[in-house]
Amino acid sequence: MAVVVQLTYEMGKTLGAPRIEIEGARTVADVLRATRERFGAEAARFDQLARVTAVAVNGVLASYKRGQKTAVADGDTVAFVKAAAGG
Amino acid sequence: MIKGYAGRVLEVDLESRRFAFQPLDEETARLYVGGKGYGTRLLYDRTEAGIDPLGPENPLIFATGPLNGSVAPQSNRFAVICKSPLTGGIGNATCGGSFALGLKKAGIDILVITRRAERPVRLEIDGDRDAVEFVDAGDLWGKGTYATQELLPKRFYHAVIGPAGENLVLYAGIVSNERIAGRTGVGAVMGSKRLKAVSVKGSRKLEMDDPEAFKKYTKHVRELFADHPVLGSSMKRFGTGGIVNTTNARNILPTRNFQKGHFADAMQISGEWTEDHELKGVKTSCIHCPVTCGRDVEVPGHGVVKGPEYETLALMGSNLEIADIKKVNEWNFHADDQGMDSISLGAVLSFAMELGERGMLATKLHFGDPAGITELIQDIGHRRGLGADLADGVKRMAEKYGGHAFAMHVKGLELSAYDPRGSYAQGVEYATTNRGGCHVQGASMYLESVGPLTINPQNLRLKADIPVVQQNLACAINSMVLCIFTTYGMIPKAVHEMDPDSFLHRSLRFALEHTPGALLRGAMSVKGKPMMWFEKWLTYITGTTFSSGHLQEIGARIFNLERMYNLREGLTAKDDTLPPRMLHEPIFPDQTSGHPLDQLLPRYYRNRGWDADGVPTRRTLERLQVRV
Ligand code: SF4
Repeated sequence: MAVVVQLTYEMGKTLGAPRIEIEGARTVADVLRATRERFGAEAARFDQLARVTAVAVNGVLASYKRGQKTAVADGDTVAFVKAAAGG
Repeated sequence: MIKGYAGRVLEVDLESRRFAFQPLDEETARLYVGGKGYGTRLLYDRTEAGIDPLGPENPLIFATGPLNGSVAPQSNRFAVICKSPLTGGIGNATCGGSFALGLKKAGIDILVITRRAERPVRLEIDGDRDAVEFVDAGDLWGKGTYATQELLPKRFYHAVIGPAGENLVLYAGIVSNERIAGRTGVGAVMGSKRLKAVSVKGSRKLEMDDPEAFKKYTKHVRELFADHPVLGSSMKRFGTGGIVNTTNARNILPTRNFQKGHFADAMQISGEWTEDHELKGVKTSCIHCPVTCGRDVEVPGHGVVKGPEYETLALMGSNLEIADIKKVNEWNFHADDQGMDSISLGAVLSFAMELGERGMLATKLHFGDPAGITELIQDIGHRRGLGADLADGVKRMAEKYGGHAFAMHVKGLELSAYDPRGSYAQGVEYATTNRGGCHVQGASMYLESVGPLTINPQNLRLKADIPVVQQNLACAINSMVLCIFTTYGMIPKAVHEMDPDSFLHRSLRFALEHTPGALLRGAMSVKGKPMMWFEKWLTYITGTTFSSGHLQEIGARIFNLERMYNLREGLTAKDDTLPPRMLHEPIFPDQTSGHPLDQLLPRYYRNRGWDADGVPTRRTLERLQVRV
């Protein structure tokens, strides 16, 4: 089991997959760090895309919990959330 | 006559084949503006309680407002009002396309159609000659909405039904171009009248109080929209489907008949995916709208057609666990061609799948399996086989087969694609909206789950306040008649561009979330100067000042009149609820139950000026000048 990271569409395109799995992460900060590492040479692109996203753990924004210190466990889904409008 | 109105109501009696142009009632226009508001007033006044929605006594009212016929962005919409055959309460839906423009050009603000034709008929209205012809529509009857419109004379603007309306599918809609007045079964009412199409033309121009100010300001708004991250960028690029990945990330994307809020393959049904793989153009957007949220896609055998909106992507994609966008495109085409609401259709299909999974319905339908759905949509449109049951909607399906606990509707109207367990204000809105479980009668989720400045959607703060102001605003917008998506422009570009983790953004969120509800409602109710574009447009066009406070009052008036209509039809506070799955089944790890509606509803009633039974008090009705 691992933490599943649901990327935004643009992140997924850059990385070639809509989601990745991260082993051993204990907090949101760990997940962010490990995700950034996956971007390798494209880390700057990740920073740019992540700047206008929030992070949700199982659908709840980390900012409503303990921010980057929010605990995560194997099996959790951590998603990058972009504001959007639809109808 | 007040500027912005043509000044005429056309009433057509299909049985006697008589018609009459009457003057628009200025007092009603002053109180209810037009569109949904004016139409609801007419429906309330002209009908007895308890009429059969599919009987000749249910009038079908097409209504425009003072913004229609102008070149204001997003302003070519009309409203349809009648008693809903799906809910038994107030029925209404709005639609883009071009029919609103046609009505205004013909010098008609409101078109009231009464009784029932003996044979299928099409109305051909020439506003310049004050003529109405009753054209035999036997050759059109049975045809889809695409083929029907192809065959109609090009000089006219049309509103048509497909087989679903003819066959009284309870969630049939009325189509103009590729757009549909989808919700509450207005198309079934049109079908019950044997009215296949209304065609209208004329050459009148809209008269405005201050055309110069309107023109100058509209130019400015077009520039504002072009530069706006939603109206000028994301909706333009991704259509409404640009929200799929966001609702999925927030765990509120209906999946497997709302058993889950997250669909692993959501990316493949998103607006971004469509832009990359499917998009053929944006011609299917509404006339004169610079936002162009319409998506043109190719459906093999049918050419380039309108693609699915967010609601369809969710209800017929994730909610059926289908990740094949080409299938959703195809089903969306067939739903449009049959002339039915794809939200209700998706919900009824997912309900049938769950019934089947539980052994309560003999069906070959399965989550994740597209087999047989294309054919079933045709069967629903023609009420054949199992399709006849599905044509009656989720509520009646549950009455026949059981499964109330997971029947996803409110008041009989199938739920839209935002799971209220992760969006509490939206849940209150679903429960209380007069037409039933719908999202575009307030769109509270924008302020708590998906927009650029959202409050925590899972506590009680403001969750009984936001729906009040949002519903009021939506009532006013639907009476002008303007596209509800215009409200997405109200949050300025600077907020969209902020880092959500920045101190400033967090401070704004904190301030918003800790605003006392009374203060929020009070601030929205201040009658001052017009600030928003739609307030200014109304002001320039009519010559009367409209500000946020004016619109809140008008919206509350309309909302309360709708409420009184529903009460008169026998709906009660018991109908202000959510499906049991939403109330009792947790979907988030920290939840012990579902949506806390019981804690929010009494507060909502108080905020509305209603008693504990959800009945508007005499004082509230008097204050709002709602005559009942
Ligand atoms: S924003 Fe979209 S739905 Fe609204 S008027 Fe424009 S094209 Fe039509």
